[in-house]
Amino acid sequence: MANPAPASSSGGLAITEHRLANGLRVVLSEDHLTPVAAVCLWYDVGSRHEVKGRTGLAHLFEHLMFQGSASVQGNGHFELIQGAGGSLNGTTSFERTNYFETMPAHQLELALWLEADRMGSLLAALDQTSLDNQRDVVKNERRQRYDNVPYGTAFEKLTAMSFPEGHPYHHTPIGSMADLDAATLKDAQAFFSTYYAPNNAVLSVVGDIDPDETLRWIEKYFGTIPAHDGKPAPVDGSLPPVSGEELRLTVREEVPSRALMAAYRLPHDGTREADAADLALTVLGSGESSRLYNRLVRRDRLAVAAGFGLLRLAGAPSLGWLDVKTSGDATVEAIEAAVDEELARFAEEGPTPEELERAQAQIEREWLDRLQTVSGRADELCRYAVLFGDPALAGSALSRVLEVTAEEVRDIARQRLRADNRAVLVYEPVHPEAGEAPQTPDSSEISEAPAVNGEADATEGGAA
Amino acid sequence: MTGIKPTMTFHPRPEAGAPTPWAFPAPERATLDNGLTVLHCHRPGQQLVAVEVLLDAPLAAEPEGLDGVATILARAFSEGTDTLTAEEFAGELERAGATMDAHADHPCVRVSLEVPVSRLERGLSLLADALRAPALPEHEIERLVANRLDEIVHELANPARRAALALYGDLFESADRLSRPRAGSAETVRTIDRAAVQAFYAAHVRPATATAVIVGDLDGVDLDGILARTLGAWSGDKAAPATPTPVKADDHARVIIVDRPGSVQTQLLIGRVGADRHDETWAAQVLGTYCLGGTLTSRLDRVLREEKGYTYGVRALSQPLRSAPDGSGRVLLAITGSVDTPSTAPALADTWTVLRTLAAEGLTDAERDVAVQNLVGVAPLKYETSAAVAATLADQVEQSLPDDYQAQVYRRLAETGTAEATAAVVAAFPPERLVTVLVGDASVIADPVRELGIGEVTVLQP
Repeated sequence: MANPAPASSSGGLAITEHRLANGLRVVLSEDHLTPVAAVCLWYDVGSRHEVKGRTGLAHLFEHLMFQGSASVQGNGHFELIQGAGGSLNGTTSFERTNYFETMPAHQLELALWLEADRMGSLLAALDQTSLDNQRDVVKNERRQRYDNVPYGTAFEKLTAMSFPEGHPYHHTPIGSMADLDAATLKDAQAFFSTYYAPNNAVLSVVGDIDPDETLRWIEKYFGTIPAHDGKPAPVDGSLPPVSGEELRLTVREEVPSRALMAAYRLPHDGTREADAADLALTVLGSGESSRLYNRLVRRDRLAVAAGFGLLRLAGAPSLGWLDVKTSGDATVEAIEAAVDEELARFAEEGPTPEELERAQAQIEREWLDRLQTVSGRADELCRYAVLFGDPALAGSALSRVLEVTAEEVRDIARQRLRADNRAVLVYEPVHPEAGEAPQTPDSSEISEAPAVNGEADATEGGAA
Repeated sequence: MTGIKPTMTFHPRPEAGAPTPWAFPAPERATLDNGLTVLHCHRPGQQLVAVEVLLDAPLAAEPEGLDGVATILARAFSEGTDTLTAEEFAGELERAGATMDAHADHPCVRVSLEVPVSRLERGLSLLADALRAPALPEHEIERLVANRLDEIVHELANPARRAALALYGDLFESADRLSRPRAGSAETVRTIDRAAVQAFYAAHVRPATATAVIVGDLDGVDLDGILARTLGAWSGDKAAPATPTPVKADDHARVIIVDRPGSVQTQLLIGRVGADRHDETWAAQVLGTYCLGGTLTSRLDRVLREEKGYTYGVRALSQPLRSAPDGSGRVLLAITGSVDTPSTAPALADTWTVLRTLAAEGLTDAERDVAVQNLVGVAPLKYETSAAVAATLADQVEQSLPDDYQAQVYRRLAETGTAEATAAVVAAFPPERLVTVLVGDASVIADPVRELGIGEVTVLQP
């Protein structure tokens, strides 16, 4: 069988960087293939900046950013962007809050004007009515995505076990119902005044743009927004590399099948060790040629699906996320024994050359997928600028993964994928039966509005 | 307004620049010697090539009592070939940086491949082998059947899935395949074995009735040569294409509550059937449906979300069921979302008020304009990737539409007036002909919903 040709590794993301006098960092990247332009704005604030008793505030605040500002009435941000043929949303994670628009290229200036208006003048429009309304919306978001679906609170439970009480990542971005109820207008105003400053943000614009003209617009609209300091540093999220003990929680709930989930403590995002861990988890648990899939689903038939994913975190240890749902009457004990055996074998042998090649090819395809769209590129540029201080790192990210050796992959598995470095969550159904596909949680990021994939909601079909 | 005074300098809202013309790409169409229809489309800069293969194996063709056999076949395509075991096949796909997915729906079985253009030939050769000579190994079929049985339990526990099952089950006659779960029920799936899968494959999978759609940066790619060595090497006999039966539904107003004790929210799915893409009113229906519930500034969310806070979001949408060139096909028209349990009846009351007000007063010109600007304006964004273009081209093939259909829809949308859009959406969502499915805590919601008078209420126990 013919050897596949190597994929073209075009890491060539040509960018220019600028900084306005008020501290706003700007990254531009030109690409004229399609007449569209993406605007992405990352504020360096996420749920890790929240204080006790106010969990969920960063995300609730993100919703308030769509409720109008000095020059924009009510839902005007949505109306104006969508009326211009653009799309928009915002999301909140542990480490940042982002806002983004993709526009037909000739409407780019409008998106910049709107982002500047809310960065500089949100408090002129923010009122108690919007806060109360969006609080109800967010509580319904929490019910829809976490409280009303089987296993919906697994992410919250495992995160709380992985990061101890008082750790900035102990709670997830959605927050608790009680804290959402407690948030006041004063809290929201103070949050804006503390974190929503040009010197706490990175703006990227990617696509069919004239960089000089774009920069002139950015200077015009954002240039007079005053910088302000006084942002408290988030609580230090570093932890020892290995937790040293296994934490375990068994939940008895009305779920459709038994499940074994676990979170392993892994290196911080941005390190070579995190890339090695990504490769290890890919070989072990990503896709239908992975070791866990072959063992648990194909050979032993204990699971309906089994997988490992990486939740990359920069300000705290990343988490390696195991999710196995049982098939038929299989027990969690049998699954756990098989998982531990596979992890031990992998820690001993490391990946075979073929496995490493496949894992790298998968990661390469996922990367190409993200960079296919101008919005994907704009988001990556902001990510590298905010979390690692240099947007140009986005251009070399893939080559860094491809340089990792089999020994490094084996070593990180040996050091970290151990029972004394994980939190384990077991589900025992009140009426036990069967299983579904595992997913790396996307719950680490929550949005302003539901994705426009309503079609899926009306489908009962069981797509594989 | 709290009147906190900003210190920035404000500027008037900017005007748009001159738009760059954009058109939905026109594919090139060809037929290979084995009868396979191929549509391809060059998209500069798109390094990931998207391939969709449509097999003329509709769910209505599944033998009596074997609902789910098309799904098991679709899943079995990635379980090995005449030269590769299931594990080897999965490994080779990943080595090529490719993903392959297949699923069976009412019109056909669709197999999707995504692969970097540099490995296109390898990806297509794996796809061709899967279609040409699937191993359909007995032990893997057994496992796929067992996994499907596992999956059913999860579907029943998911409120959105549960609502769709109930709606389809009630809207269509039990003899119509549409009324039953796409991937089969426990009773039917249990009886599927290798022989049944093999027979379904032999009866319905052949190049002469299949179409492949290939989209990506094909600059410098010898597509003819690659096709000849891959999908062109697939052989099979001739057969007439399947003829879809007309879609009929009973949409007299009624409410079905699927009891889910302890639910903190109620899943709503309010539906009926309506005109599909072959109908003259399609563009107007798309436009009107968007104004009703396309986004959070549409009529439904303006009240249910942004005024009342009952929901994270409610959408009005349409979804193809079966389509036919003679116009006898239909789409499912639906309003869907979830609301907190105590707000169930108030949210339904508001929904009916929104619909009645729409019928009485019609859409405004401003609403129509914004909707057109959005639906037409987002096209270049929506079709930035190969996968998005390939999916729409495949939808056109699946629904027997001409290759320039989508391009024409954008032209039609721009020409559609307010009155036309109003008429279409009012006809699509008549309050007295809607079937309402609610998945939620019946002990709390049933009585208040009965009092609304939106139809007779039936409670289904889980």
